[in-house]
Amino acid sequence: MNARLLLLPLAPLAVATPAWATTYLSVEQAQALMFPSTLLTPDFITLSDVQAQAIEKAAGSKLSNRNLRAWRAADGGWFLVDGVIGKHELIGYAVALSADGTLRQVEILDYRESYGGEVRLPAWRQQFVGKKAGDAVTLDDDIKNISGATLSCRHVTEGVRRLLATYAVVLAARR
Amino acid sequence: MRRRIVLHALIETPMKTPALRPAALALLATLAAGNAAAATEPAATVQLEKKIDLLSQQIEAMKAELQQLKAQNQALSDQQQQTQQQVTQQQASADNGVKLWGYGEIYYDRPVHDTSATSADLARAVFGIGYNFDERTQFNSEFEIEHAVTSSSDPGEFEVEQFYVNHQFTDKMAGKAGLFLIPSGLINLSHEPTNFYGVHRNFVETLIIPSTWREGGVAVTGNTDAGLSWDVGLTTGVDLAKWTINPSEPPASANDLKDLAPLQASHQELAQASAQNLSQYLAVNYKGIPGFTAGASVFTGQSQFQKGLARNQRTTLWEAHTRWTPGQADLSAVYARGHISNTAEVNQLYPGAANPLPADFYGYYLQAAYNVWKRDSYRLAPFLRWERFNLGSRYDGVPMGFNANGQPTERVWTYGANFYLNPHVVLKADYQMFQQNSRFDRLDLGLGLNF
Repeated sequence: MNARLLLLPLAPLAVATPAWATTYLSVEQAQALMFPSTLLTPDFITLSDVQAQAIEKAAGSKLSNRNLRAWRAADGGWFLVDGVIGKHELIGYAVALSADGTLRQVEILDYRESYGGEVRLPAWRQQFVGKKAGDAVTLDDDIKNISGATLSCRHVTEGVRRLLATYAVVLAARR
Repeated sequence: MRRRIVLHALIETPMKTPALRPAALALLATLAAGNAAAATEPAATVQLEKKIDLLSQQIEAMKAELQQLKAQNQALSDQQQQTQQQVTQQQASADNGVKLWGYGEIYYDRPVHDTSATSADLARAVFGIGYNFDERTQFNSEFEIEHAVTSSSDPGEFEVEQFYVNHQFTDKMAGKAGLFLIPSGLINLSHEPTNFYGVHRNFVETLIIPSTWREGGVAVTGNTDAGLSWDVGLTTGVDLAKWTINPSEPPASANDLKDLAPLQASHQELAQASAQNLSQYLAVNYKGIPGFTAGASVFTGQSQFQKGLARNQRTTLWEAHTRWTPGQADLSAVYARGHISNTAEVNQLYPGAANPLPADFYGYYLQAAYNVWKRDSYRLAPFLRWERFNLGSRYDGVPMGFNANGQPTERVWTYGANFYLNPHVVLKADYQMFQQNSRFDRLDLGLGLNF
């Protein structure tokens, strides 16, 4: 029997970090990570019909939620929390914008699908850094897809594009 | 006297707010200076009292302001907490529900050299049901009807394609148990029709890697931030007792080649599977560079062609795959190779068999696709694929002259296009040219969907 189980003993060798699953970062942890030692003030907004339409038009996709979870940073930047459905499950993510609306960082807060979790890979998220409202942020064209994680990649990309449009339509005027 | 009371009050009052401290110190300094001068300058005393009154009023105003700020802070903190709760509730409602999904594909195949064999088929209708038991434990299943109607007199099959529980141990490692997909090649894990080019799945990942390939067992999977993932499992595997060494008739079309493909014909799919000998697999994938994937896997297990043989047959399949999407291009390649040990004894028992048990089989393909046109959600992607495969490239124990050096290798060119109405619905057309069995040449049309 031992001779037959050639591969299984390899499993324990590959055991990785012990942090608990699915929720990778809480909102507070993401805030501390993305805006270290910067005061964040909640500025939650319920988008009006006009604002929602303007955002949807600019982003080219529908908003699933009119409640914008935004925090204004003392340095003029913004910390935004949003959720998109991957294939079936909600992917929670946070976006940090600089004072001029340039995307500084994307972090995945929670992920629950069996497949497609590669949207968490730093190299994939790095592709969004430096994007602004009006920039092309389209999967396959500007944001490279990950084979086997297409739906998660597509929906997070659409979500980020909506948040950039939201900055241009709503947040830029609130500074 | 009044001065003293004010002074006393200022000293005794705890200075909670740092901003008030400089004010108090300034006041103390003023008072001290005032005290020294008071005896000699009564007019100055009055002036000082006025100043103190003013300062006292200012302190009151600051206190009020502080109270207001505190209240505002509390309100914001409450609001933040409330939103956090809303988010959690929203996530909980998205998590706890039953999940439903599906995919399917319809083919129209027209063999160009024998149009009487033209066929149309609802090849697959698949419905998926999932359920989240808790944050870390989920159930996934897929039920498939092949060829539309299943009964004893119809060609269809009703199959359970996946049925497993996945449990996330840590954010980097999960385990699963049940009937699940074997991580081999590019298509098997992403086999929905929107995920591959051409009406039919390619031959390498149908005949060499038997997609949709699933086995029953347990597996552990994990990944790293660098983009490396691994998957190791212990499952049921091939049962060579299912191999038909003397088929009643030769394959009439390319679709019939499945019956002659070693793994396609012998994998078990957890249908009262022989589990005396379990198989093992290991797969690794690298996806650390966006738009690029490379990986490899090996699957190996023993079975016995028939009882009473001196030795078991070990079937081993290994493969390597890569996919790269620079710009609008989509390039991929898969190489898969299988080996079955101790086949000589089997084949010697059936001299002259029409379909002896092969010792080796392999296949590979190169594929290029390009998005030539995109508008809104529409996308048109022509593609070209070159495949070589051989279902019996070497035989042991067969009589001289009968495929002793293996079958001739088939080579297939496939060219066509996928036209996406949106990412979930695709119309397909392609033409396939077989160099060995040119009678299989065909025109294919297809509709695929996935939600």
